Amino acid sequence: MIDQFTEGFAMAMRFDTMALVSVGLFAGMLVGSLPGFTTLMAMAILLPISFFLDPIVGIPFLLGIYKGGIFGGSVPAILISMPGTGAAVATSRDGYKLTQKGESRKALDMALYSSAFGDTCSDIFTIVMMFPIAYLVMQFGPPELFAVLLMSLVIIAATSGANPLKSLIMMMLGLWLSFVGTDPLGGVERFTFGLFDLKSGIPLLPMLIGVFALPEVASVIIKNEKSRQLAALVGERLSRAEFRRCLPTICRSTVIGTGIGIVPGLGQIVAAMMGYSAAKNASKHPETFGEGEIEGVAAAEAANNAVNGPTMVPLLTLGIPGDNVTAILLGAFVAQGLRPGPQLFEEQGATVFAILVAMVIANLLFVVIGYLSIPFFARLVTIKTSILIPLVIMFAFAGTYVFRSDATDLLILVAFGIFGIIARAGRFDVMPMVMGFILGPSMEYAFGQTVAMSGGDALGFFLSERTGALIVLIVTPAIGYLLWRRLYGSPARA
Amino acid sequence: MFRDFSKKALTSLAVAGAALAASLSSAQAEYPEKPITMVIPLGAGGSHDLNARVITSIIPTYLNQAMIVRLTPGAGGQKGTQEVANAPADGYTLLFTHNYIDMLQQHVENLPYNPAEDFVTVARVNYAPIAVAVQADSPYQTFEDLVAASKENPGGVQMAHSGNWGALFVPAAQMMKALDMQWNLVPYQGGGPALQALLSGDADVTMGFPSSLAAHVEAGKVRILATAGPERIYDDVPTFAEVGVEGDVGFMHRVVLAPAGTPEDVLAKLGEAFNALGEDKTFTRMMGRLGENIDIIGTAEYDAMRADQSEAYKVLVDELTGQ
Repeated sequence: MIDQFTEGFAMAMRFDTMALVSVGLFAGMLVGSLPGFTTLMAMAILLPISFFLDPIVGIPFLLGIYKGGIFGGSVPAILISMPGTGAAVATSRDGYKLTQKGESRKALDMALYSSAFGDTCSDIFTIVMMFPIAYLVMQFGPPELFAVLLMSLVIIAATSGANPLKSLIMMMLGLWLSFVGTDPLGGVERFTFGLFDLKSGIPLLPMLIGVFALPEVASVIIKNEKSRQLAALVGERLSRAEFRRCLPTICRSTVIGTGIGIVPGLGQIVAAMMGYSAAKNASKHPETFGEGEIEGVAAAEAANNAVNGPTMVPLLTLGIPGDNVTAILLGAFVAQGLRPGPQLFEEQGATVFAILVAMVIANLLFVVIGYLSIPFFARLVTIKTSILIPLVIMFAFAGTYVFRSDATDLLILVAFGIFGIIARAGRFDVMPMVMGFILGPSMEYAFGQTVAMSGGDALGFFLSERTGALIVLIVTPAIGYLLWRRLYGSPARA
Repeated sequence: MFRDFSKKALTSLAVAGAALAASLSSAQAEYPEKPITMVIPLGAGGSHDLNARVITSIIPTYLNQAMIVRLTPGAGGQKGTQEVANAPADGYTLLFTHNYIDMLQQHVENLPYNPAEDFVTVARVNYAPIAVAVQADSPYQTFEDLVAASKENPGGVQMAHSGNWGALFVPAAQMMKALDMQWNLVPYQGGGPALQALLSGDADVTMGFPSSLAAHVEAGKVRILATAGPERIYDDVPTFAEVGVEGDVGFMHRVVLAPAGTPEDVLAKLGEAFNALGEDKTFTRMMGRLGENIDIIGTAEYDAMRADQSEAYKVLVDELTGQ
């Protein structure tokens, strides 16, 4: 094992590996920062290139695109409140407020450093703890997934808005919206009103852009500040003292993210929200969260990137990818003749360690590339509002359309835009709705599987067979209640 | 340093570049002038996913365009199928599916599409015989052990499958019918998650194709109890017929379909590309690594096979649902 690692380490120290990782990082960052273009799309299109490169060059190249893309996604989230993925939603909350205060550069810097920090720690942890993590992943079946998702939703509802009751209402709405379309287990149509466009459900991207970006545009227009700039300055770079102040938060989020990394598929989104909620709860001044707290950006970004290490584990040890990104990596491995599975480490241990080491190197290169590009990104918001606002509107509509070239998505975008404006006027927070919408289908599927596993008696099944899931379900209401009490006083008063 | 950076790599680099450029322009030109999307109505990591990754990595050489895989799992494959049925019949949206989703589901429920009328075959790529698998430390040493336990405790054996009326569900149902036993069928989002359920002990038995099971069999984690097809695949493992499951059970045809009404010349071009793919040395080698065969069949021949499948499945479903 140690021999394989040292051999792998030496194999990864190649100029061409680093060069192509840098190319991947830069390409991923550009694609990720354009709303509507997904990192997944970029990886799928560039996948064939990796087939004909050396494994230690081709696979890190794809990993570079992936890592660059995640950071790229937080750029529009911070600058124009336009999160392109669920993982960037938590970042946009404080990130955009910082931009409005004229501190966009600081927010981007913090996103970069905390991402790289969280990712590096989780990668190293993964390399060292590969097999224990693989064991944990195996303990995680549908009942556990259901319990963890339910707990996540309760924590999000309890910590996100100013009014827990309103948060719950919005979350229920989100869950209901996620039911629209074809039922994932039985194939029954629900709430589609016979409309074909609703049969495959409501798409996420138009909802995200609609409820987060359009209300911001509307508020700038309503205030009629046409001569002013959205932010007069790009602001200072992040100071070392500020980073040090946020370090406990970053570390906490890294631990949370690494832990949640074993949840298949939804890890990044859940981790970002949990990291953010935990930071807010631990803070001496939770009221500053959501109002431009740099710690909020750090918490979300460290957590969603810390997921990256453990998500590689099922792929490498079982050959079973947890999400679409690792599925693309699986394709790259297979085409190289590296068959992920139980024997991969025995047969190709050095190569696999070389790839994992390259992941860590990619994080370091990422800091350099990000540091150099941030000033250019940050300058975007210093354009005059009379030009910036039309640009943002164009990004919103073009991004929505380019996502899957479906004109119906534009109607959905506008509908959610109007909904977002109304919700804001009524002081309803849209975040719990979005989270309910994103996590709902997985939670429903996991519940359906649990019922099927137990032959219909899910409750007895939790009691008799699934101690872990049962414990999570039992502590969930208590956690929710404590968080409400702590952050908002008695829920009864709210 | 560019040891493996062959002509093919340069081609795919050029194709990828062209793909990015083409997606931004809409000038009329000869098909294909932009990347082709291949929808898979199944989850990540299953055998379709793996096959598709290899196909889409080589076929750009013959189409001069990228082919992009889109995974659209849901509703036992209907979600993705429906998406393609309603896509424009211009050859830019294809469906990579299998015979159960394609021809069986229409007899089970009312579909929002008509498989026979809404689709036309581009090419049958290959076929796979399914295998019944248990964990290596399972108490079921042979298929007979499994059957005996299933009869003794109806519904007590957990069987993980990849979705209702899918590639693992149908052979399981056929087997339950043929041997008069009862399994508890639990759905997972694809063959990969079903296999993970077996490995983690959530499921007692699952089914899988050689491509997905090979690594686990070699590692001594999984034991195969029976395989489909007329001949033994593993010397010491009986065929379905030998254990009393007769007939056309457990064959999955992986097939690429296009929406009906796709122009003849587009179908011809795609057909040529798939035939060329079948001859391609890199493709053959990569599919070999996956443990898959290659047996390309064209539009006319497989469309006839689809009609036969439809008949056979109708009989099966009527029998199973007691109509």
